[in-house]
Amino acid sequence: MIQQFTMSTCEEDPSMSGFHQLSVTIETASLKSSFFLKPNPYIELSVDHKSPRKTEVSKSTLQPKWNEEFTVLVTPYSYLHFRLLDHSSFRKDTLIGEKKISLYNVLSNYNGKLENLELTLDLLSGNQHGYIQPKTGDLITLFDRLKIDMNTVAPPFHLRHDHPAFGNTSQMSVSPPFHPTTVPLDDGVRARMRSQGTEDVVPSMIVQPLMYRNSSNNFQDCNSAGQSDTEPSSSRAIAVYTPFFSNGTTSSDNNGTAGDSVSPETSFLPLVQPPAQPCSSNITNQVENLPQEEPLPAGWEMRHDVYGRRYYVDHNTRSTSWERPQPLPPGWEVRRDMGGRIYYIDHNTRSTTWQRPNSERLQHYQQWQGERQYVVQQGNQRFLYPQSHQAMAAGPFTSIADEDDGLGPLPAGWERRRQPEGRVYYVNHKNRTTQWEDPRTQGQETMDEPPLPYGWEIRLTEDGMRYFVDHNTRTTTFQDPRPGVPNGPKGMCRVPRAYERSFRWKLSQFRFLCQTNAFPNHIKISVSRQTLFEDSYHQIMNAEAFALRRRLYILFKGEEGLDYGGVSREWFFLLSHEVLNPMYCLFEYANKSNYSLQINPASYVNPDHLNYFKFIGRFIAMALYHGRFIYSGFTMPFYKRMLNKKLIMKDIESIDPEFYKSLIWIKENNIDECGLELYHSVDFEILGQVIHHELKDGGDKIKVIEDNKEEYLRLMTEWRMTRGIEEQTKAFLEGFNSVVPLEWLKYFDERELELMLCGMQEIDVDDWQRNTIYRHYTRNSKQVLWFWQFVRAADNEKRARLLQFVTGTCRVPVGGFAELMGSNGPQRFCIEKVGKDTWLPRSHTCFNRLDLPPYKSYDQLVEKLNYAIEETEGFGQE
Amino acid sequence: MAATRRLQKELGDLRASAMKNFTNIQVDESNILTWQGLLLPDNPPYNKGAFRIEINFPAEYPFKPPRINFKTKIYHPNVDEKGQVCLPIINAENWKPATKTAQVIQALIALVNDPEPEHPLRADVAEEFQRDRRRFLKNAEEYTKKYAEKRRETTSAD
Repeated sequence: MIQQFTMSTCEEDPSMSGFHQLSVTIETASLKSSFFLKPNPYIELSVDHKSPRKTEVSKSTLQPKWNEEFTVLVTPYSYLHFRLLDHSSFRKDTLIGEKKISLYNVLSNYNGKLENLELTLDLLSGNQHGYIQPKTGDLITLFDRLKIDMNTVAPPFHLRHDHPAFGNTSQMSVSPPFHPTTVPLDDGVRARMRSQGTEDVVPSMIVQPLMYRNSSNNFQDCNSAGQSDTEPSSSRAIAVYTPFFSNGTTSSDNNGTAGDSVSPETSFLPLVQPPAQPCSSNITNQVENLPQEEPLPAGWEMRHDVYGRRYYVDHNTRSTSWERPQPLPPGWEVRRDMGGRIYYIDHNTRSTTWQRPNSERLQHYQQWQGERQYVVQQGNQRFLYPQSHQAMAAGPFTSIADEDDGLGPLPAGWERRRQPEGRVYYVNHKNRTTQWEDPRTQGQETMDEPPLPYGWEIRLTEDGMRYFVDHNTRTTTFQDPRPGVPNGPKGMCRVPRAYERSFRWKLSQFRFLCQTNAFPNHIKISVSRQTLFEDSYHQIMNAEAFALRRRLYILFKGEEGLDYGGVSREWFFLLSHEVLNPMYCLFEYANKSNYSLQINPASYVNPDHLNYFKFIGRFIAMALYHGRFIYSGFTMPFYKRMLNKKLIMKDIESIDPEFYKSLIWIKENNIDECGLELYHSVDFEILGQVIHHELKDGGDKIKVIEDNKEEYLRLMTEWRMTRGIEEQTKAFLEGFNSVVPLEWLKYFDERELELMLCGMQEIDVDDWQRNTIYRHYTRNSKQVLWFWQFVRAADNEKRARLLQFVTGTCRVPVGGFAELMGSNGPQRFCIEKVGKDTWLPRSHTCFNRLDLPPYKSYDQLVEKLNYAIEETEGFGQE
Repeated sequence: MAATRRLQKELGDLRASAMKNFTNIQVDESNILTWQGLLLPDNPPYNKGAFRIEINFPAEYPFKPPRINFKTKIYHPNVDEKGQVCLPIINAENWKPATKTAQVIQALIALVNDPEPEHPLRADVAEEFQRDRRRFLKNAEEYTKKYAEKRRETTSAD
C-alpha cells in the first residue's frame, strides 16, 4: 500500500513558481555488461533541455563512480534529463542510457522538500526501435537542498499523458498513513530518504482535498450526508476550473497516450489483494502472461464468476467490469467525497470528475479545452434573422458619427456603434437593447418579403412605423406597393403553404409565442467566470421555471456593467461550451465527428446527472426563448427526439455508421444461410461493463431469421437510439418543457431547430470550394461548375441548409472546411457522381458526401437541389 | 451475451476445422472477446516461424468488426511496428456481420504470404520489397529467426 499524498490544506494563490536551487549529486551507476569493450562513462545532466552539465569521464568501467555535485536552477515544473554517454576520443560519444524525470512528480511526492533524497533511476537505451526501451543500467543520484512550499505551486496546467520518459506518479490511494521508505515515482524512478530527519514522515492522509480555491459548498446540497473522518471538509466532485495558470512546461513534451505506455512498474497497489492467480488451465496462464499486467488500482479486485470468467470488482464504486481497469494517468488521484462516493482529481488541471479517466477521455478533454479560446469569437460570428434583440458583445466599442448613407438619421434614442472587429450594430437606449439590424431598414428583409418595385424604398417614422418612398414619383405612402402575399395552396394557419414552409415565417410564429408569454421585469443571474457552471446551475435551478422567461440580466462577478445583450450572449456561449466539458461526463461527441453532442450513456457516474440534465434542458430552452445561440449543437436524432418524432434506422447512421451498415446488411440480405447466430438480445458496453438486454420477452431464445428480422431490426433501432440515455433524455425534456413548452417547437423540423439554436455563420464559399473533393467528377465537370454557381447564388440560409444536408450540421469547423470531420476522422466535403438525372441528390452525412446525379442543365440541378434541401423529412438523406 | 453465442459457435467451428495455418488457438475463458493463436504462413520468408496474433472482438460483435494485432514482431510491408495490420475485410467500409473469423484469418494469411506493397503500413519496408527483393528477404528472414516462435511438429487446436 502506498502512501503518498502530500499537498496540504491551505489555498493560496498558486502563482509562485520561480527558479530554485537544487543540488544534484551524481554518485554511481551500474551498467549491464553487454559491451565488447568497457565504456568510458560520464553523465550529462540538463534541465529543461538547457545548459548541460557533465561529470568527469570514468575510465573503462561498468561501475562508474563520480560523486560530483551540481547546483542547478529549476522550477517546480522542470524536467531533469540524465544521459549516460560513452566517451570516445576518436569518434562521437555514444549514448548508453538516459532518463528524464519530472521534478514536479518528485516534489509532489515529498511535499516540496527534497533533502537527502536518494533517487535511483533506470537508464533506458535511447534506441526506441523496439516495442520497449531496454534498460541499460541504474544511476544513483542524491537530490538535496530544495524546499518549496507546494501550496504555492500549481500543478502543471497541461494534461499530462503518460509518457515513458515521465512515467506515472503515485497520486493515488485512499489508504491509512504509512511511512514510506521507498516510494515509486515515475516509472523507473525509486526514491528514498537517506537520513531520517525529524520531519520526514510524510504528512498523513489528505486533510482537505486540494480544492483549488473553490472550496465553496455549492454541491453539498446534492450530496448525501455522511461525514467521513478522513475528509473533514467538503469536496465537490464536479469539475472546477480556475483560470489558466502559466508555467514553464508545455504539452509539446507530452505525446503518447495514457494506458498505451503504462509500464509494468506501476505505482499502484491494490487495497484489496486480488485472489491468487487462477490456475484453471495452462492456457489461461499463458495468455495472461503475454501482456505484462500491472497490479490492480486500489480498491479493485479480480474475481471469477460461476463460469470461471474473470471480472473485476471496484469496491470504491461498488461496480463490476469485465475489463481490467487502467491505472490512473500521472497527476491523477482517486478520492471519496462526504457521501462516500468516489471521484477523481486531476492535479494537472486542478479539476475533478466522477468518471475514471482513460486516454480517450483525456484526449477529448484536451480537444475540448483547445476550443475554449474560440468560443467567444465563434459567438460573434453567428447570426440568424432579424429579431427583437440580437445581442452584441460587451466590451470596447466605438460610436460612429452619422454617415450619410442615404437612409437619413436614426430614430430618436438610437445609436450606431461599431464592435472592435468592425461590425456595426445599433443600440436602442430607450429599452436597452442592441441589434445588428439598422432600425431604419429593419423589417425589409423579414418574412420573406418580395423585393420592392424599382425605385421604391422603405423608411421608418420616428415611431418606427414603416412607410414607403417612391422615388419615381417622389411620393410616400403607408401602403405597401408590393402585391399581396404569395399565391398558392393554403396550409395550416391559412397562409400559403410555400410561405408557411419558410423558416422565417416559422421563426416569427415562434417569436410571437415567446413575446406573448413573456414575464415582466428581469431575472438576474450573477456568475463568476471561474465557477460558471455551478453558479449557473444553482441560480437556474433555484428559480421558478417561468421566471427564466423574464428579461435576462447576466452579471459576471467583478465585471459589473449593463447587460445590453452582449453579456448574456457570452454567457450562453460559454456555458453551452462548459456543458460539454468531457469531465462532467454529461455529453459526448457523437462518433469522432467533432461537432454534435449526444447524451453520454455513462453519465450516471455523476450521481446527480439527472439534475444536471434538467438544468441543461432549462438552459437550452432559455437559449431558444431569448434568441441566443449555443456553441455546439446536438445530433439530429436528439433534435428529433425533442420534436417527438419517430426515430428510424436511418437516424442511426449519423451517430454510429458502422452499426447502421450492419443493420442495413441484415435488412438487405437473406440471413438464413449465413450463420449469423443472432438472437433477440443485444449487448453493449459502458465503462467496460457489458450490459445485456433482451429486445423482447425471452428474446435470448428467439433466433433471428429471415421471417422475423423485420421486427428484430425495428427493436434494434429503437434500442440503439435510446440505450443508456432514456432517463437523461427525459430529465432534459422535462427541464426544457418547464421553460418553453415543447409544443412551441412543432413548427420546426430538426434541422431548423439546429439553425435556431446554433445560428448561422457567414460561410466562406472560396474556402468551401477549395476544400472539396470529387469522385467520378472533376473540378471542371459541368455539374460541379453548376453546383458552385448555385452555392454562390444562394443566400446564407440556403448555404447553411445545403451544408447541413450534406454534413449533418450547419456549422463550419473553427479551422474552416479543411478541418471538416467525418465519422472516421478528417473527411472533406465530397461531391460524387451517382445515379441518373431523374434522381434527387442524396447525402451521406457521416462521410460529408453529396451524391449529385449528372443533371442535364443548371436549372434542373437547382430545382433538384432545392427540393432535396427543403424537403426535410428524412428525404434524400442516406 | 449476444456476442458470446456467436463467438462460441465460431470458435467451435474453427477448432473443429483444424486449420493448418492457424493453430494453438487460445481463448481466455474469462473473456471470450480476446483470442490468440499462431499464424503459420506458407511462403518464405515467413514459413520458418510462427507468429502470434491477437484478435479482439467488440461487445457489439458481429455488428462491428474485430481488430487484429501481431504479438510477434514481423518484418512486413502491411504490418506496422506496433503489430497493427490493415486488413480490408475488417475495415469499417467492408465489414459484414456475416463475415466469419475463419475468413478473416484466411485473408490475413493471404496478406502475410503475399504482401501488398501498394497499400503499405510501413512505407520503407514496402519500398524495399519492391526495389530490392533480396535485401527484403534477408531482413525479413532475420526478423523471423530472431522474433518468431518455433513451429511445433504437431499442433493441436487446444
